[in-house]
Amino acid sequence: MSDYAHPEVLVSIDWLKQNLDKPGVRIVEVDVDPKLYAAGHIPGAVGFDWTTQLQDQVNRDILSKEGFEALLRKAGIKNSDTVVIYGDASNWFAAYGFWLFKIYGHKEVRLLNGGRAAWLNAPGAPLTPDVKPVTPSDYKVSKVDTSLRAFAPDVLGASKTKKEALVDVRSPDEYTGKVIAPPGMSETAQRGGHVPGATSIPWSTAVNTETGYFKSPDELRSIYLEQKKLDPKKATIAYCRIGERSSHTWFVLTYLLGFPKVRNYDGSWTEYGNLIGAPIEKP
Amino acid sequence: MDHSARVYDDITEMLPNEENPSPLVRLHRLVPQNGSELWAKLEWLNPFGSVKDRAAWEMVRDLEERGELGPGHPGRGLVEPTSGNTGISLAALAAVRGYPMRAVVPSKVPEEKKVLLRVLGADVDVVKDALCPLPGSEDGTIGLAKTYAKAQGHKYAMPNQYENRHNVDAHIRTTGPEIWRQTGGRVSHVFTSLGTCGTVTGLATFLKAKKPSVKVVAVQPSAGHDVPGLRNVSELDVSKLFDPALIDEILEVDFELAYVRARDLARAEGLLAGPSSGLIFEGARRVAERAPVECGVLIFCDNVFKYTSNMLKHLPELAVES
Repeated sequence: MSDYAHPEVLVSIDWLKQNLDKPGVRIVEVDVDPKLYAAGHIPGAVGFDWTTQLQDQVNRDILSKEGFEALLRKAGIKNSDTVVIYGDASNWFAAYGFWLFKIYGHKEVRLLNGGRAAWLNAPGAPLTPDVKPVTPSDYKVSKVDTSLRAFAPDVLGASKTKKEALVDVRSPDEYTGKVIAPPGMSETAQRGGHVPGATSIPWSTAVNTETGYFKSPDELRSIYLEQKKLDPKKATIAYCRIGERSSHTWFVLTYLLGFPKVRNYDGSWTEYGNLIGAPIEKP
Repeated sequence: MDHSARVYDDITEMLPNEENPSPLVRLHRLVPQNGSELWAKLEWLNPFGSVKDRAAWEMVRDLEERGELGPGHPGRGLVEPTSGNTGISLAALAAVRGYPMRAVVPSKVPEEKKVLLRVLGADVDVVKDALCPLPGSEDGTIGLAKTYAKAQGHKYAMPNQYENRHNVDAHIRTTGPEIWRQTGGRVSHVFTSLGTCGTVTGLATFLKAKKPSVKVVAVQPSAGHDVPGLRNVSELDVSKLFDPALIDEILEVDFELAYVRARDLARAEGLLAGPSSGLIFEGARRVAERAPVECGVLIFCDNVFKYTSNMLKHLPELAVES
């Protein structure tokens, strides 16, 4: 069996168990449900709340460079640290955290394959409610990689020129416009449907529903390349509703399948579906 | 203890068993008039108000017998993922025994149940229901409860009704023998719903051993339903107690009918049955319409008091103008 394009970005439960106390390894938990961290987390892990800590609290935007620096300084994370991120729902929001770390140029970032559920169910994998005191660091962002992020004009251009592929990772009902958002979501849009030309590949296609682990390299290739006909050489933009599910697919395409240029459109449907005059396809 | 005088030393003595069964009440007006006999087993008359009293009691006693709860672990209590009824039964038992209790419930659970849990002194965590399918994450409530049990084991033991065989054994030990005795062995059909599957698996195991011809019919709400505590077969992967080989038929009923039939049962039979009972009744009625049911027993899990807000949501004509 062949390997992922960049297997080094994934760590296993066993690797993490053996490296829990290793200097230079820091663990970050990012969950859909922030209650989980407080109930119990991997010893030494710091918890980031995606709604209050990973987004700008005034403007609709990702956390600013200064905000990111302040967050990591307070968490005692150093520029040289290897950061292992994990979370619930098969690393759904952990992947969003990974994307943010990469935008702000952190060199060594990993995802725990299987995420929080795999750790929770692994024998001998400890959890604690205790938050370990940390010494603040002098974290500094030296470069911001904006090439990982797509904006509305990029998406409109991609849809029109077809020079970049578009992947809609929302549920089939959101893609077809049967619903505008999953039930109970407060963030929504004026219109339902999808960006013309976008291919529907729900984000969770990439994970094994039984275990939460990423599917094997061969399975991923079969789905994304053979069945869905994505071109690995073509620049690609992934989007969802608010940009978190699509960061999961951004991770899969970039690191597991090795697409050279993938961008996450974090404005996603809550921006696009509200834009005056934006063309929408609705079967 | 004297069940005839109904004088008890503490509330746990009222828990049901063959000598002290929950009542079996015959349905009349709503039953197809073809010789069918349908009997409702009124589980809300158990001391804490639902069929879950049985599993909760069995699971707590098991934890106590194994020394996981009690004098060996001062201050240790219970944590459980629940859509309400198991939590209420466990919280009441925890109250009697002096254990702390934490219930992890999905946000869809009706307000009445959340308040009841608080009335019983439980800490309650509300977990947002799946925003989207969450593969590999288990049910959100199960993940959070397991986290408490693993990270704070000194504070919490987790019965885990989705995996605990005592949830099944409770029905082999109590509900099954009760039905056998109450029907004098005439029982021909059992109608129940699917949740943790403790009831269906336990009842089928006991009754089919006694009488292989007993038909076990599970009634499930249509997909996307809003009937707390029940699961559609597509959602059953969370329960390790589901054994399809024991079930003769799975009937799917439009979930809105759960509320309509709960209302009908109150108006035509004087039974204050909850929506899951309404759904089970509709399934039994359909089976009886196809061919006479000799002696069908319907497990009516709980009463309607905990669902007044849901009843109002689904049957707006119930609103009283002030």
